[in-house]
Amino acid sequence: MNVITLTELSKIYPGGKKAVDSVNITLSSGEVFGFLGPNGAGKTTTIKLLGGMLTPTQGSCTVFSLDPAKNPEKVHALCGVVTEHAQMYDALTGIQNLIFYGSIYGLTPSESKKRGLELLKQLELYDAKDQKLSAYSTGMRQRLSFARALIHQPKILFLDEPTSGLDPESAQNVHDMIRLLSKENGITVFLCTHQLRYAQEICTRYGLMEKGNLLAEGTLTQLRSKVCSGATMKIKATEIPHELSCYQTPEGILEIPIQSEEEIPKTARRIIESGGNIYHISTVLPSLEDIYFHLTTRKESLK
Amino acid sequence: MNTQMAAIIKKDMQSITCNKRMFTTLLVVPIVLTIFLPFVFILSIYFVPEEGKELLALLEMFPIPVQSGSSLKSIIWFMLNILLPVFFLIIPIMASSVMSAASFVGEKEKRTLETLLYCPLSLKQIFRAKVIASFLISMLVSAISFTSMLIVIETLSYAITGSFTFPDAKWFFILFLIAPTISLIAITLIVQMSARAQSIEDAQQGAVFLLIPVLLLLIGQFTGILFISTWLLLVIGILCALAAGLLLKKSMNHFQYETLLKN
Ligand SMILES: Nc1ncnc2c1ncn2[C@@H]1O[C@H](COP(=O)(O)OP(=O)(O)OP(=O)(O)O)[C@@H](O)[C@H]1O
Ligand SMILES: [Mg+2]
Repeated sequence: MNVITLTELSKIYPGGKKAVDSVNITLSSGEVFGFLGPNGAGKTTTIKLLGGMLTPTQGSCTVFSLDPAKNPEKVHALCGVVTEHAQMYDALTGIQNLIFYGSIYGLTPSESKKRGLELLKQLELYDAKDQKLSAYSTGMRQRLSFARALIHQPKILFLDEPTSGLDPESAQNVHDMIRLLSKENGITVFLCTHQLRYAQEICTRYGLMEKGNLLAEGTLTQLRSKVCSGATMKIKATEIPHELSCYQTPEGILEIPIQSEEEIPKTARRIIESGGNIYHISTVLPSLEDIYFHLTTRKESLK
Repeated sequence: MNTQMAAIIKKDMQSITCNKRMFTTLLVVPIVLTIFLPFVFILSIYFVPEEGKELLALLEMFPIPVQSGSSLKSIIWFMLNILLPVFFLIIPIMASSVMSAASFVGEKEKRTLETLLYCPLSLKQIFRAKVIASFLISMLVSAISFTSMLIVIETLSYAITGSFTFPDAKWFFILFLIAPTISLIAITLIVQMSARAQSIEDAQQGAVFLLIPVLLLLIGQFTGILFISTWLLLVIGILCALAAGLLLKKSMNHFQYETLLKN
């Protein structure tokens, strides 16, 4: 069953800015969708459209077959949202905030307290549970926002840069939680992020946006074959033949783009025949980062 | 009404105790108007009777009920049933605008509104919950003010004249018709400002306009142009109720995701 669908979704802001331009995406249950793109690509706008905070100019989107523009409150009951601007109450403590948000999602005070404390433990905020939010650091607030989004056990998470202010340990922790939630509870995650390395670790599928357009979409393997096929062969060796030396990095490692595995023994033989020693050979597939830059720069070179 | 709305109402009402400046405003204005003002007024006339002479001349214009009392008794009656009812209206206007400015504009300013909008309540329900919270605070402050004012006046009245001076029917309309409806009007004005206002202060300035008719009433009364009778109050109350109903509907239409989150 399709959990989220975007059909020719477009949004033009009142000022005339086209932030999202005919985007088509469908997500099924349990997917972790990495929504990537440079600043101003239209990621936040898409999340706002899915949350019903904006109405589409053209096209439509659905969440569990509900139209967020028509039934926002029904969509909200099913999803948890973390955005950079959504703050909580400074005058309340961490746990008081969670109890309040639990109660507006229809949990009883004791239920929301129990669930809140659980989440605070998982997010390593338990010791700060009775501190007022005004005494929280940016990263603590960010983690509390994540706890808030999970308080009512949503079926979908819309996360807009949920780890932007976090230290590496906390970011890792949040990413592990996201992965676990999708694996064990079948939660669908729509994740906007600039942290491509982390995205590659936790996302099952990706969409790359630029200036409102969806440039490419698919799993990492699909993107590799669509965008930049081939791999990079890395060789550490001595006596490198002259015609290969242009691939040498400053550290003396050869990095040669290849299209098929057959090129590996061929190159190795050439080095050995010219009297060199090989210490190490490996092949690296293009990472998400490579694909991202490939896509965004290829567009530039076409212009 | 459901428990989710009740949670918002409770949170909004509790928030006044967290905000020192707001809490002081809510406390000081009623104390000045309902305790300090009558106290000083009655005592100064008691101790400096010459000043009361002029006032007594003014009192001739008002239909003071036939009382077997002293001129002091008339002055206390004048204070309670002519002067204070108009002054009293400042309290619900002030309380509801301070409260609704914090509840609507304050949440926008502190960026907690967006979080609240993602809850599974419709915009109408969130709007209602917030209006109810401001309304209840305003009524609570008015009720407490009225009670404390009555205690001060009755104590003074008994101590000075040896008998109580009772509030007349005007107070019934003030408390149960005009104070509630004028609170709603103030709240809706603040909500409409909240679309444009960037800070709490901006929005509160709007509510100051509501004090103008109250001031006109006061001036009219002192210059003898206008006599605030019970019937006049009833008419004013009905007009306010109509205005409040219209304004509520209109400001509900202003309450949209896109206008609320625009900044
Ligand atoms: N309220 C608004 N009114 C007018 N234009 C807007 C508004 N919000 C965003 N935009 C424009 O829409 C485009 C997309 O913005 P959006 O916030 O969706 O980008 P984003 O992908 O989330 O970027 P970032 O990575 O910086 O968060 C930008 O060009 C932005 O200037
Ligand atoms: Mg963004």
